Amino acid sequence: MQNPYVPIPVVVSKIITEVDTKDIKTFRLSFVNKEDEENFKYIPGQFAELSIFGKGESPIGIASSPTQKGYIEFTVQKAGQVTSFLHEMEEGTPMGVRGPLGNSWPLEFLEGKNIVVVGGGFAFTTLRSLINYMLHEDNRKRFGDITVIYGARNPGLLIYKDELEEWGKRKDLNLNVTVDKGDPSWKGREGFVPAVCKEVAPSSDNAVAVICGPPIMIRFTLPVFFDLKFSKENIITSLEMRMKCGIGKCGRCNVGHKYVCKDGPVFSLAELDNLTKEY
Amino acid sequence: MAMEKRLIKKGELAGIVGRIAGDMSLLAPVKEEDNVLFELVKDGVTALPDFKNTKNAPKSFFFPRSETLMRYIRKQKGMEFAGLEKDEQGERVLFGVRPCDARSFAILDLLFDQDKYKDPYYIEKRNKTTVVAMSCAKVPYATCFCTSVGGSPTSTDGSDVLLTDLGDEFLAEFLTDKGKGLLKYFGDKTADAQADKKKEEIAASAEKEIKTSIPAKEIKGFLDANFEHPFWDTIHKKCLACGTCTFMCPTCHCFDIQDEVKAADGKRVRNWDSCMFPLFTKETSGHNPRPSQKERWRQRFMHKFRYYVDMFGPIACVGCGRCVMSCPVNIDIRKIVADISKL
Repeated sequence: MQNPYVPIPVVVSKIITEVDTKDIKTFRLSFVNKEDEENFKYIPGQFAELSIFGKGESPIGIASSPTQKGYIEFTVQKAGQVTSFLHEMEEGTPMGVRGPLGNSWPLEFLEGKNIVVVGGGFAFTTLRSLINYMLHEDNRKRFGDITVIYGARNPGLLIYKDELEEWGKRKDLNLNVTVDKGDPSWKGREGFVPAVCKEVAPSSDNAVAVICGPPIMIRFTLPVFFDLKFSKENIITSLEMRMKCGIGKCGRCNVGHKYVCKDGPVFSLAELDNLTKEY
Repeated sequence: MAMEKRLIKKGELAGIVGRIAGDMSLLAPVKEEDNVLFELVKDGVTALPDFKNTKNAPKSFFFPRSETLMRYIRKQKGMEFAGLEKDEQGERVLFGVRPCDARSFAILDLLFDQDKYKDPYYIEKRNKTTVVAMSCAKVPYATCFCTSVGGSPTSTDGSDVLLTDLGDEFLAEFLTDKGKGLLKYFGDKTADAQADKKKEEIAASAEKEIKTSIPAKEIKGFLDANFEHPFWDTIHKKCLACGTCTFMCPTCHCFDIQDEVKAADGKRVRNWDSCMFPLFTKETSGHNPRPSQKERWRQRFMHKFRYYVDMFGPIACVGCGRCVMSCPVNIDIRKIVADISKL
C-alpha cells in the first residue's frame, strides 16, 4: 500500500528571490530519484506539501508547468515556521515534497475557449503554471485568445519579472501588467486590478475567467466580470485553507462537505455557490 | 453459506477469553479505579464479566491519540528520512466492544480506507484486529440512543464476531472470515433455531429499553438549507471549547501532524486534534474561516449530521452518549437534534 504521508525526497536546486522585499522566493526542487520524477504527474492548479523534517509541512501551489521537465517550482512567501525555515535554506539542501495534491485548473473545460487569467500579488503562482502550460508549443493551439491581467502593489512586488518580459513580446498573448502605484522607473500601467479588468474588458464570448488574488481584489473584480456577462460557471478560482494531511482526512480544510485539499482547491463560482460560505 | 454460530455456557466465557489471550494480544474491558477501560488481558488483569461500556471509545486502537508516522535523522545537509514506524503488534482481538463502538469502526473505515487515499496506519491495525462485539442485552445507560442514528443494541456493523447474552448461554455469531478465525475457541455446540429466536426477542426488548428517540435522520433537510440560522447564534454559548466531546467521540477523527526533534533524531507524529479549538483552522496570515465558537460548534454538528452523510452515507454519530455524559457544561447532542427538528 502506498503511504501518502511519506514525502518524496528532493533537493533545492535553485532559489530565485522574486521581490524587492525579499520575502517571496521561488524554489526549484529536483527529484533525488528519477522514478519519483516520472511518477510526479501534475496538472496546473494542483499543489503539494513542502515537507521539511524537523519543521513540518506547508501546502503550496505548484508554480511550474508540467511542460517544464526535470524539476518543479514553488513560489513561497515567508510567513510561518516551515516557510521561514525554507527561506533560510541554501541550494543543495535536501527536503521533501508530498503530492501532487488536489484537483487542478479544469484544462479540458478550458480547451477551445478564450482564457482570461486574472492574478493579484503573489497569488499568481498556479496561474503562472497555467499560462506556461497553455503557451507551450504543444498546447497553444488548443486554446483561443489568452488575456492576462496581473497586478501587484508596486513594481518591486511583481513576481516572475523575466517571464513577464518574455510574455510581453509574444503575439499570441494579451498581457496587461499593472501596479497599484508605480515608481519613477516604472513605465507600465498604474491602477488596481479591477479597474484594469474594466479597461481591458475581455469579451465573455466563449470565454472563461480564471481569477486568483487577495480577497479584496476578488471582491472588486468579480462584479466587473459579472458586468461583462461572464456566467458563474465560467469564472474559476482557487481556495486556500489551513491544511495538514492534504488527503481529506485530518478534517480542517472542509468547506461544507468538500475538502479543499482533495475536492479543491479549484472551484467555479457556481460550485462555490452550492457550498457553505466558510473560507 | 449459512453463518457459523456457536452456543457457549456462560461460565465458559472467561476460559475462552483466557485461551485467546494466551495465543495473541487480547484487549477487553477491565476495571481501572472507578472506570472501565480496554486493556491488555494478562496475568493479574482480567476481563470484566459484566460491564456497561468503556469510558473511552476504542477508536484509539486503530487511530491512537498520538502516533509516530515516520522517523528521520540529522545528516550533514539536513534531516533525512530514516524509515517508517513499524507496528510491532501482531494479530490481536478487541473483545467486548459494544455494538455502537463497533459501528464507529465501520464509519471510520469509510474515511481512512477510501478509494483514492488509503491511510496505511489505520488500515494495518484494523486488518490485524478481530473485533468481538457484545450485544447490549440490557441497555447500559439512559443516555444511549444508537437506534436513532442507524445502530441497534445488536448491530453487527464493524464487528467480526457478535456475542449475545441469552441468559444461561452466549450466542456467538461469526460474521466475517476474520471472525471465523476464532471459531476453534468456541467449542462445537452449534446454535439452533431456538437460540436465534431467543436472540431476536432479546434484541427487540433491548430496543424497547432505549428511551431516547431523536429524529437524527430527519433533520438533514434543515441542515442542508440552514447553514445560516438564528439557531446557531446561541447554541454554542455555554461551550467551553474544551474539546472533550471530540476526544470521547468514537467517530471524531480530526488530527494534527507535528514534528518532534531530539538531538539528531526526529519523528513526525500525528495527534488527535479538535474542531472545537480556535487554532484548528487558523491560518498563518491570522485569517480564521471559523473565527468563533459558533462556527466551530456548527462545524462539529454539521460534520456529523450533514457533511459525513453527503460524503459517505451514514451519520457520523453512533449514539453512545459519551459526549452527553462527559460535557462539563451539559450540552446534550440529543436535545440539539430534537430542538432542530422542531424548527
